[in-house]
Amino acid sequence: MKKQTSKFAGFTRKYAAIPYGVFMAVFVIFPLIVLLLYSFCEKSVDGSLSFKFTFDNFKSVFSEDNFSMLINSLLVGLYTTGICLLIGYPIAYLLANKNYNRSAVLVMLFMLPMWVNFLLRTLATKAMLEFFGITMGMGTVIFGMVYNFLPFMIMPIYTTIQKIDYSLIEGAADLGASARVTFWKVTVPLSLPGVLSGITMVFTPTITTFAISKMLSNSKISLIGDYIEQQVKILNYNVASAISFVIILIVGISMIVLNKYDKDNANQGGGLW
Amino acid sequence: MVKKIMAKTFLGVVLAAMYLPILWLIVFSFTDTTSVSAWRGFSVNAYIELFTGSNSDDIFKAIINTLIIAVCASAISTILGTLAAIGINSVRSKKIKFAYKQANQIPMVNSEIVTAVSLMLLFGMLRSFIVLEGEVQLINVILAHTTFCTPYVLLNVLPRLQQSDNKIYEAAMDLGCTPTQALWKVVIPDIMPGIIMGFIMSVTLSIDDFVITQFTLDGGIYTLSTLIYSKASGKKPLPIEMRALSAIIFIIIAALLLYVNTKSSSDQKKKITNTGAKKSPKRSKR
Repeated sequence: MKKQTSKFAGFTRKYAAIPYGVFMAVFVIFPLIVLLLYSFCEKSVDGSLSFKFTFDNFKSVFSEDNFSMLINSLLVGLYTTGICLLIGYPIAYLLANKNYNRSAVLVMLFMLPMWVNFLLRTLATKAMLEFFGITMGMGTVIFGMVYNFLPFMIMPIYTTIQKIDYSLIEGAADLGASARVTFWKVTVPLSLPGVLSGITMVFTPTITTFAISKMLSNSKISLIGDYIEQQVKILNYNVASAISFVIILIVGISMIVLNKYDKDNANQGGGLW
Repeated sequence: MVKKIMAKTFLGVVLAAMYLPILWLIVFSFTDTTSVSAWRGFSVNAYIELFTGSNSDDIFKAIINTLIIAVCASAISTILGTLAAIGINSVRSKKIKFAYKQANQIPMVNSEIVTAVSLMLLFGMLRSFIVLEGEVQLINVILAHTTFCTPYVLLNVLPRLQQSDNKIYEAAMDLGCTPTQALWKVVIPDIMPGIIMGFIMSVTLSIDDFVITQFTLDGGIYTLSTLIYSKASGKKPLPIEMRALSAIIFIIIAALLLYVNTKSSSDQKKKITNTGAKKSPKRSKR
């Protein structure tokens, strides 16, 4: 009898996931298929899907006209990620280390800017840079990106360092390792998953976010995100789709690499589902 | 000791640098120069302009739009996500669980701009069937926001469900509840904290969104973030009332977050002292 009721119960509850399944099919999977189709089709006059196969969209993405845009994106992305790592790692380390910090509010203060709209933060940065009479260009764009994405580097590194078993560090000290050796041989390797996810959380948004580069360089420097916006404005959805597809590939590859390193997290995720 | 002082100084300097521009904008909202490069005496003109000036109508319409979108999208996301979590939790097939897991990851992992372009293309296709004009366009934005909010609701509710004991549900049924009654009286109250957390996260994500809104909304209708962008991306300097608006938003968000966080951390301390060291530390992670 009991078995029967539970079977019946599972039967009804099972259907609860169907609305979301349908929703995802329509608003997540289908749009990506449309995007893929657009990226391999010729441009039509009114921006509708033409169903004429072509590789031209990808060719025009990687054409010489876009050379400086692609190089700029790469440079800004690399510099921003590098600087964020250089500043963010020590911060995350200090915040997670009980000898230096015990207050949750301090951690929160570092995360708080993340919740403030990035346009407002960028506006504020621009206002301040203008006050100091700094000319807008590559430097200010990188500064603004670091300012915007630093919390995204601190957060994952902080959580992984916090999870490190402290007895490992004590053990290293007991076995005669100096503080420096312990740091480089124990803490750093164990925090690598956090570093990797920090890098992906900074690099891709940096090169794909539009508006920041435009605002902080007076439209002199445009990155991939700005390029997509510009293509959409002139109704060239096909090229916009092609470059979006390239972004999907980049993100996908970095996710695969990340999952390989981040076995700990993968196990947790497996437990959840 | 020296190390400690150096560490504190380093943290302080970075923190100061992070907050300097924000403070800067707040300070300069109390003067009426058009550019923020010179201080011209104290004035509340920016605030007067914000509430009574020529742009104030647009600004308040944008705020209303932002709130409508946030509330509707979060409500839909919360319902969809909670139902999905209940469904996934009771489905036995590993394949279905895996499929949901993968699909649920897509909006979180994908670059915002990719999601934005793909949704824009979808709505563009739909336009040949139904044309949405004016404020009705907000439906598109609500649907778009629902796509990136629901994954977070699901991820907040599912762990709660897995912690709760399925036997209680079965017991409710044995005691004569119909499945619907059991759902409302047993399952939902049990996972309520997760549902509320998911709703709050959805609201913040929706209000904060710019990229996806910018791509799915046009024709003179603005939300707060797209309005700020339209005022800020031009060649002209930012109107002074926008400075006042930014200052107000900053202060509200900072106050809210500080309140929520200090409250939740003190709650956590209470919980820890109440339950003692029985629970494994892993559970109190969030």
